[in-house]
Amino acid sequence: MFYKLVGLRGPLALFLKYGFLGGADAFLIWLISAAVNKSSFIIAGVVTAALIFLNYSFITKGAIPLKFLSVGLIFFSIFVVTPTGYTILMSTYNFKTGNEIAKEAALREIINNGIVSDAEGTAYDLFLGKTSNGKFAGILENQVTKELLYGDEKAVRPVAESEITRDISGYITGAKGITTLTDEEFANEDAIITALRFPLGDGSYAAPQGSNVAARLIQSVVYDPVTDQLENIEFGITYIDNGNGNFVAKDDPTTRLDPGWRTYSGFDNFKSLFLDEKLRNPFIKVFIWTIAFAFLSVGTTFAVGMALALALQGPIKFRRFYRGFLILPYAIPSFMSILIWRGLFNKEYGAINMLLGLNIDWFETPWLARFAVILVNLWLGFPYMYLIGSGALQSIPAELEEAASIDGASERQTFYTIKLPLLLQILGPLLIASFAFNFNNFNIIYLLTGGGPTNSIDGEVAGATDILISYAYKTAFGSNFQDLGLSSAISMVMFVIVGTMSMYTLKKSKIMDTL
Amino acid sequence: MSKKLGTSNIWKHALAISLVLFTAFPIYVVIITSFDPTGGISSSSLLPVRFSFDNYILLFTDPLVPYWAWMKNSLIIATATAVTSVAIGAAAAFAFSRLRFKGRKVGLKTLLLIQVFPSFLSLSAIYVIMEQVFLITPTFGLGSIWGLYLIYIGGALGVNVWLLKGFLDSIPLELDESARLDGASVPQVFWLIFLPLAAPVLAVIAVLSFIGTFNEFVLASLFLQDVERRTVAVGLQQFVGGQFEQTWGPFAAGSIIASIPLVIIFLSMQRFIIGGLTAGATKG
Repeated sequence: MFYKLVGLRGPLALFLKYGFLGGADAFLIWLISAAVNKSSFIIAGVVTAALIFLNYSFITKGAIPLKFLSVGLIFFSIFVVTPTGYTILMSTYNFKTGNEIAKEAALREIINNGIVSDAEGTAYDLFLGKTSNGKFAGILENQVTKELLYGDEKAVRPVAESEITRDISGYITGAKGITTLTDEEFANEDAIITALRFPLGDGSYAAPQGSNVAARLIQSVVYDPVTDQLENIEFGITYIDNGNGNFVAKDDPTTRLDPGWRTYSGFDNFKSLFLDEKLRNPFIKVFIWTIAFAFLSVGTTFAVGMALALALQGPIKFRRFYRGFLILPYAIPSFMSILIWRGLFNKEYGAINMLLGLNIDWFETPWLARFAVILVNLWLGFPYMYLIGSGALQSIPAELEEAASIDGASERQTFYTIKLPLLLQILGPLLIASFAFNFNNFNIIYLLTGGGPTNSIDGEVAGATDILISYAYKTAFGSNFQDLGLSSAISMVMFVIVGTMSMYTLKKSKIMDTL
Repeated sequence: MSKKLGTSNIWKHALAISLVLFTAFPIYVVIITSFDPTGGISSSSLLPVRFSFDNYILLFTDPLVPYWAWMKNSLIIATATAVTSVAIGAAAAFAFSRLRFKGRKVGLKTLLLIQVFPSFLSLSAIYVIMEQVFLITPTFGLGSIWGLYLIYIGGALGVNVWLLKGFLDSIPLELDESARLDGASVPQVFWLIFLPLAAPVLAVIAVLSFIGTFNEFVLASLFLQDVERRTVAVGLQQFVGGQFEQTWGPFAAGSIIASIPLVIIFLSMQRFIIGGLTAGATKG
């Protein structure tokens, strides 16, 4: 009866439901029309799919589970599944600095770069101006043969001496149909002027080299679309597609033309991660430290947090104060505390050196930097372990302890043989989750040490405190060299490790059985 | 007996007091730094030698440091994310806990697996998506807090479903069965039985999600370039993130103000939070 009274099928409920749906529809339709206006058809398509899915799930009778999941599913697939899929795809691509663009764009750039001065070094005196319709045009006078040409971006033609005017020293100062450029125009359109090409008709160009000189340029690199080869006419070298995103000389595959392009490379990124020594050694180093860091983090925070939970379990003076104060690190925004710790460890003015009367450069010595990371993570993490630890302690029946003490076990014995195993069993899933969290704990590394110290003299990317995720981040978004393909491959390796661990825990904790 | 109790309490106090000192150390330094007008972090002494409100005043008045805009951005985005992700999470957890449908087990496992994927490495993909969205509507695209909000709630489905499902599973089945017998529809069971029962857990998840969003740094620093549109995390990081010029005074003052609401929320919900954190683990 009660339910009929409150009635979620009543007019108010219907009004709310369709009000919500109508609002969402209006918004999505507006988004679609905006996308179509800007001709972003992919987005328009995705939003249309979302619109249909949303309306289907709410209007259709039945399909009740869908009504509860549809909104979350839409966001999840756009912002989590799609980028994840993209990362997986990228891990099979050669996609790094020098190989970022599509092949067509790379080819265009190579051909553009292949424009060089001709062997004789032909040069022209240039009078540059604009025609009446605002196009660039100029008079070219061959410096050796004194041949006069009128040129624009379409073609050149001979021009008679009578059509031009010269000053007393012989410089051309005007021509029929061409207005002189003002200084301002020269300054503003500098980029356009340097890119001007006056085709000379034989495949070569005259191109301005400054305001009053032009040079003859020839296209030294030609592309043959049939054989997919590039030919350097000047030196007679043939370049072939090496199948890995670069044109290389036919006779010498180590001579590459830049830029290259991104290309499918199968498992090459994974292979080089495990086989190429330059990549494998830092990878193994980082991998070992990641595991050690995650273990040490969980170990230290659990030990301290659990000890505290035990200490504050029974009646003790100031318990409320201890409790309230000691969970502060968990409540204070962690990015702030990490940055504060960074200041405290500073060599010049840091409070730690001052307190201990030392003059240590903590972040420049690998082992000290690692120690600092663990210490700061202990500060950040022990309150959480304390909280879950005291929660778990409460769930251990008191009879167990009594029984043990009646049997004559000491407090210590009771703890190690009865309580600890039980605690570990109860907290197992949370500890593994904490391990996985620290395995990917990007913030503390990035904000505290930046992964350093790094031996930059040897050109290393990975620093002594880099964990896999910060290493992958540096690989993908580093300042000098970016390798998205390799970085995605590292992500995949991490995913396999953490994913396997999670699935194993789930199996072990038997949560899956009760699903 | 009383003597034994005494000695055992000594190590307890020793442990607690040393942890109090450990915890207090950076907090103490940050407080004296915030009142030190010279802008260094304990540049000469660990004792407070100078005292002024300069750093706090700077946050209010310096036009180059729109601290309140940052605070507002952080609060808006964290609140919106917390509310939305709890709503999405609660609905999904209810479906996974109480309804039986095709793909349920697979769905749960997939959620878990994708969640452990180091997703922020798909930054570049997210960036490309948001760039496209920006072209269509700047309100939700790159550089706007609503664009960032969209990205944050993208993960809402995965994060909380498992925790919430664990809690919902512990509510006896008889409760909704009897309601169904009384003629309640599935949505009614959700709105009238589960939501009220799960309210404390939902509040905890909202708080944790709020804190998580408030803390988020990487995505925010990548997406919010405009000074006015930054969150507190990104804005404050600029003061001390540089290699050479570091102004700790305003950073310390800003950190203290930003921490106060979080610490209050946290301390007042302490009991619920402990319950919420262990809900999944201690049952059974």
